[in-house]
Amino acid sequence: MATYSGVSFDLGTIAATGIESSVTGRIRLISELDDIDALSRTYRARLIRFVAYSTGDPDLAETIAQDTLLRAFNGRENFRRECSVSTWLTGIAINVLRNHQRTERYKFWKKVKSNAMDVHEMASFLPADGSGPESQMLAKERVEQLARILQTLSNNQRTIFLMRFTEEMEVADISEVLGMQVNTVRTHLHRALTAVRGQLGAKL
Amino acid sequence: MTPGQSAHLSEEAINDVLIGLGTPESDAHLAHCSICSSKLTEFHSEMEAFNRSTLAWSEARPMGRLAEAPMSKVREAMFSPLVWALAATILVAIGVPLWNHGGHHPPLNNASVPVSVSQDSEAQIAQDNDLLRSVNVALNENEESPISEYHLLGASHPHARTRPELRKP
Repeated sequence: MATYSGVSFDLGTIAATGIESSVTGRIRLISELDDIDALSRTYRARLIRFVAYSTGDPDLAETIAQDTLLRAFNGRENFRRECSVSTWLTGIAINVLRNHQRTERYKFWKKVKSNAMDVHEMASFLPADGSGPESQMLAKERVEQLARILQTLSNNQRTIFLMRFTEEMEVADISEVLGMQVNTVRTHLHRALTAVRGQLGAKL
Repeated sequence: MTPGQSAHLSEEAINDVLIGLGTPESDAHLAHCSICSSKLTEFHSEMEAFNRSTLAWSEARPMGRLAEAPMSKVREAMFSPLVWALAATILVAIGVPLWNHGGHHPPLNNASVPVSVSQDSEAQIAQDNDLLRSVNVALNENEESPISEYHLLGASHPHARTRPELRKP
């Protein structure tokens, strides 16, 4: 039993609770990472979305997502819980993508292929939110417009913008995953935001 | 915020808030300024619609089996210069002996080349027949035919020519 500012604490209980929650968390994470099918079900779509809108190549996104999940599964013992699983996977995806973009095959197909992203098709996937048909139509147009604006950003601006506002990562995490100075990340985000908000409309 | 010029947050300050780097001053301003806070709300609303739409789009893509992924590594390996060099070496190792065997040996001696039947002339056939006939006669000179006891053989019998001794009275 310890006393701090007149309040008594049972150190044994606190320690036991901490260990229990830590063990529980560890068990939950291990079981999540140990089941590759569950891992794929939970994170595959998000990985595909991130890579597809970062690179503009849906087919490449599928390959990168698959490789990322396999690497994560094979290297699950290295996950140190310093960030969320989602952030960890995004970091792996960034590395896989970088390795892939260095290959001659990627450079070749990059020259040959036109932009394969169909933003109109993507916008049509906007789930109904209970608003009227006109509101839904307007929302789809705005989504389509935002997707087109993202395509005009530089690779770094677009990737960092998606990491922040789609993957909801903190600036510090983005900085660590990309191996980039925090101020550089902020600069990219500022430029991306200025372009997006400026083109989407003055009201933003 | 830009005191003296505007009562509202600057675009840069709004961007800072969106990035997650807002200051206590900007937070205090947003707490009572509906115009500035509506800008944030609008942006988050746009992003929320974008994220829902793109997630639905990516979820709709067919799910491939993760076991197929190693094949992509095989396909990657197909482009490795080392693999191409190995393939070229194997081709040379197999191809050169075959090429030498087929095209660079001197022509074989005619005596060892089997003669096809179609090249036999009529004279050659007749010569062969004579040879076979004489062999047949030589073999049967001192041997009695097993069917001689039936006294069936006459001058018209097809085998009479191969059994000349039977035609003797």
